[in-house]
Amino acid sequence: MRRTLLVVLALVLAVSAVSVAAPTRGGTLRVGLDADPPNLDPHQSTAAVDRQVFQSLCDKLVDINQELEIVPMLATSWAITDGGRTYTFRLRSGVVFHDGTPFNAEAVKYNFERMLDRSFGSPRFSEVNLITAVTVVDPLTIRIALDKPYSPFLSILSDRAGMMVSPAAARRLGRDFAREPVCSGPYKFVEKRPQERIVLERFDRHWDRSAGFLERIVFRPFSDENARVANLRAGELDIINLVPAAEVPRLKTEQGIVLLERAGLGWQGMWIMVSGPPFNNKALRQALNATIDRRTLVRVVFGETAEPANGPFPPGMFTYAIPANSRIPERNLDLARRKLQEGGQPNGFSFTLKISPGRQPQQVAQVIQSMAAEVGIRINIEIVEFGALLSQLSNHRFEASLLGWSGRPDPDANLYGFFVTGGGLNNSDYANSRVDSLMDAARILTTNDQRRRAYTDVMNALNDDLPYLFLWWPKEYKAMSAKVQGFVQVPDGMIRTRTVYLRP
Amino acid sequence: MMRPRAATAAATGTIDRTPAQRRTVRRDGLRYLLDRYARNPMALAGLGVILLIVIAAVAAPVLAPYNPITPDFDDLLHPPSRAHPMGTDDLGRDVLSRVIFGSRTSLLAGIISVGIAVAVGLPLGLLSGYYRGRLDDVLMRLTDAMLSFPFLVLALALAALLGAGLDKAMIAIGIVFTPSFVRLSRAQALSEREQNYVEAAKALGAGDGRIVWRHILPNIVSPMLVQASLATAAAITAEAALSFLGLGTQPPTPSWGSMLNIAQAYLGTAPWLAIWPGLAIFVTVLAMNLLGDGLREALDPRLR
Amino acid sequence: MSLFLLRRALLTLPVLFFVSVIVFALINLIPGDPARIMMGEEASPEALAVLREQMGLNRPVYVRYVIWLGRVVRGDLGKSVRDGRSVLETLLLKLPVTVELSLVALLVAWAIAIPAGVLAAWRRRTLWDYTATTVALAGVSIPNFWLGIMLIYLFAVNLRLLPPSGYVEPWIDLARNLKLMVMPAVVLGTALAALVMRLLRSSMIEVLGTDYVRTAQAKGVPDRGVLFRHAMKNAMIPVVTIMGLQLGGLLGGAVITETIFAVPGLGRLAVESILTRDYPMVQGVVLFSAFAVVTVNLAVDVVYAFLDPRIRWEERAA
Repeated sequence: MRRTLLVVLALVLAVSAVSVAAPTRGGTLRVGLDADPPNLDPHQSTAAVDRQVFQSLCDKLVDINQELEIVPMLATSWAITDGGRTYTFRLRSGVVFHDGTPFNAEAVKYNFERMLDRSFGSPRFSEVNLITAVTVVDPLTIRIALDKPYSPFLSILSDRAGMMVSPAAARRLGRDFAREPVCSGPYKFVEKRPQERIVLERFDRHWDRSAGFLERIVFRPFSDENARVANLRAGELDIINLVPAAEVPRLKTEQGIVLLERAGLGWQGMWIMVSGPPFNNKALRQALNATIDRRTLVRVVFGETAEPANGPFPPGMFTYAIPANSRIPERNLDLARRKLQEGGQPNGFSFTLKISPGRQPQQVAQVIQSMAAEVGIRINIEIVEFGALLSQLSNHRFEASLLGWSGRPDPDANLYGFFVTGGGLNNSDYANSRVDSLMDAARILTTNDQRRRAYTDVMNALNDDLPYLFLWWPKEYKAMSAKVQGFVQVPDGMIRTRTVYLRP
Repeated sequence: MMRPRAATAAATGTIDRTPAQRRTVRRDGLRYLLDRYARNPMALAGLGVILLIVIAAVAAPVLAPYNPITPDFDDLLHPPSRAHPMGTDDLGRDVLSRVIFGSRTSLLAGIISVGIAVAVGLPLGLLSGYYRGRLDDVLMRLTDAMLSFPFLVLALALAALLGAGLDKAMIAIGIVFTPSFVRLSRAQALSEREQNYVEAAKALGAGDGRIVWRHILPNIVSPMLVQASLATAAAITAEAALSFLGLGTQPPTPSWGSMLNIAQAYLGTAPWLAIWPGLAIFVTVLAMNLLGDGLREALDPRLR
Repeated sequence: MSLFLLRRALLTLPVLFFVSVIVFALINLIPGDPARIMMGEEASPEALAVLREQMGLNRPVYVRYVIWLGRVVRGDLGKSVRDGRSVLETLLLKLPVTVELSLVALLVAWAIAIPAGVLAAWRRRTLWDYTATTVALAGVSIPNFWLGIMLIYLFAVNLRLLPPSGYVEPWIDLARNLKLMVMPAVVLGTALAALVMRLLRSSMIEVLGTDYVRTAQAKGVPDRGVLFRHAMKNAMIPVVTIMGLQLGGLLGGAVITETIFAVPGLGRLAVESILTRDYPMVQGVVLFSAFAVVTVNLAVDVVYAFLDPRIRWEERAA
């Protein structure tokens, strides 16, 4: 019910945005980001916040729309043949990169070679390494052959792996490309002052005449979420990313500010390391899970800005309705005590919960700490710097940790790498061959119904084994000044500026 | 050149860059000092407040109306009321109780970090000042170097390298404070060793250890007390600053600095969260500074 | 004169030496592999091997120190682990922002502290004196992060008179720049003002008690003349001689102030690089700030020696 309402709301907004008279040109859009984007080379970038800038700076082969459908961008059409092993893209003509280099099939080929070049060490490598050949059919047609069918491939190309950089600039600059990136997006790079601002400026030769109405875009990092809101209120920013939960109710009714809300794509919760004590004991994982009241947790820490979760598929994804995903378990202390008994720790046990710095992880950790304490499970909270936390997790050097995933439009990208045996993101060191083969099967299946069935079995297994406690799905918010027009909110949370203009 | 720096050091209350606190009233000892201290109303007020805070810290479990770390999920961000005179926080915990328990963290941080600084700085300074020579040269340049770092920058860097946690924050602050105590005790040792009575003791065949212990150390106690109380004030602020930046006390232990960190998020909706812990730091540090100033003025009445 | 200058300059060399030792030790004496600490634990084995080779980690620690020092002396502070930029370049980019903030704060501080300090000493043991000293003590004691939060609450959240945080270069928009500077400068200047006021008061009291001021008074020089021509000039000496200390305080205070007010200067750079474990950058900021303090101390002493020849004798005697 609430979902439909959201969709309707979003539609109304989208329609109202479109129905306004012709967009005004000019002006500077000031975007408040949650961090300073460290790397502006889409093929080197590892930070989520970089992607916000790329939306304006770079074009991708394809994009996604509000309904998470794949839509054309640099590729105007495509055909999938050979049982899902071959993708043939028809490319847009008349496209040039910011440095004047023409965009064509050769450029696309160069881009994939760049990502696949082992010595370049692109973080995109693992996203595109199923590619066995990239063939230039004609100047505007490119054929990509995959090792095996891979249904999420197009959605991969709607992100950084599908962003095309100027081959001339990339060859010339090598690793320094990030310092003066050259793409083909509606806005081109002007300058970056670290921790201060990134400035983009309208690219006059962009292929889409109905995109890029602004003169300039300035991205400014505010790591403090309240500073972002305060600056929006003060008229210093026009649109902000990641709105703090505590401010959402007030922003909703505030004059001069528009708050957009949508279901997000990500999931959040607790990693549990299953290959070492204490949690190599499945009953203890189940005991911990039974002590957590997800609804209360969400109410206390997130208010209306998140939904209680039990799986990796948030509302809006076609796999959401899988029962093991969307049915939120009730807190059950009797069950918890029984499981403790079964696990041989009737009086409880203790473990260390590693969290990243920041208020929200601290709040969540303390809420869970007090809930678990009721059956004698003692939690030591340890704050670990984000980079260090990531590496400790990937080396399985932890007992439990609060860390989630920002989410991608295809369910596979929300699941596979995290739970497949030996997977790069499988922090839990979880290994279940049945889950592996089910997830592999889902990658080859082509209809949503087939995939949904496969994921149902996966979720039933995961929610019994509990290598991860899915706890909440954050909603996606953008807050902006009322003078910002034409903004379309897509669940991936990216600020797409193509259609944005400023009311004078 | 030298005197001004001495004056500054006293005024800042943290750093002593000079070899001489020559004005120190030399032979009249601790009792005389305390006697004069007692005649300074502001200083007494400072002492009184400190005693109250110590009592609050010791008797926290009795005084605090609620458990400071047990959340109440049905009473979030409640404005100050009869049940919760300072309101409740983001997890429904009683702010008053957390402020009371927070005094433990702050006092502990102040005392332990200054304790570390004294324990390391005093013997080093005595050795350096008493024996002079190479060791003295090296130590003085080293302390010069350490004092060249902006204090909070160095403390932050050390705390980050050692890892998050109150214990590590205290060590970091202690290290950063050490040079000022080396300087002070060296200066005292230096001036005492030239005194006639030390010469006399030497002539009578007293060993170095005995001279330092019986003759020099007692004369260092008073200026050391001044320096230590002012440094405690600075250490309490420093711990709060590190916790505010997320490098000090870890949750759910109440610390005024980390309470302020959380409070930033609720400035618009629950400003009381920011007022009380901040006020607590302010009052504690102010009282500590009054205490230190009082001691200093008792040592050197001309400053009043 | 030149002999004194030479001697004074040479004295800073051992200090700078120890500064460099401390900064080097910050990373290298901590248990664990410095290359790994530098690169973060996610570094690829190849990149780690390259860095180890570069840092000469297979060589003894003093050799490494010499190599490192050689680079630093040539101005090579390494590259940020986070965004690959040269550390020195980033420092120089951030420096003007902190310099501006510090200068405004210094101005604010002196504008309040000097009249207050003079007044308190001149009207010693009056209500003026007590008010000024109490306010100054409060200024020393108030935690700057709390003061910052309270100012934001009052002037940005409630009254909406000032922008809450951020920065614009003065040459882009001077008015906005100054508006944004008000709160950070006040927060940064408060502790300094209190320090300077207390210092000026006590040195003024001392000067007013000296023979030549008494003589001047006895000769019938009017009060104000004594105050400004004779007493103040001398009382200001300690205030000026501790410029180095004040600078250290400003740089330390900038860490907090710039973080709260999102001012992209050296202080925020220090916090960000410390919190993200960008160790080359941490080394750079720490080294740079200590170097700045040492340099200012040297400069003050040199300038001062020119102004007051007696100093040179005192130094030599000491």
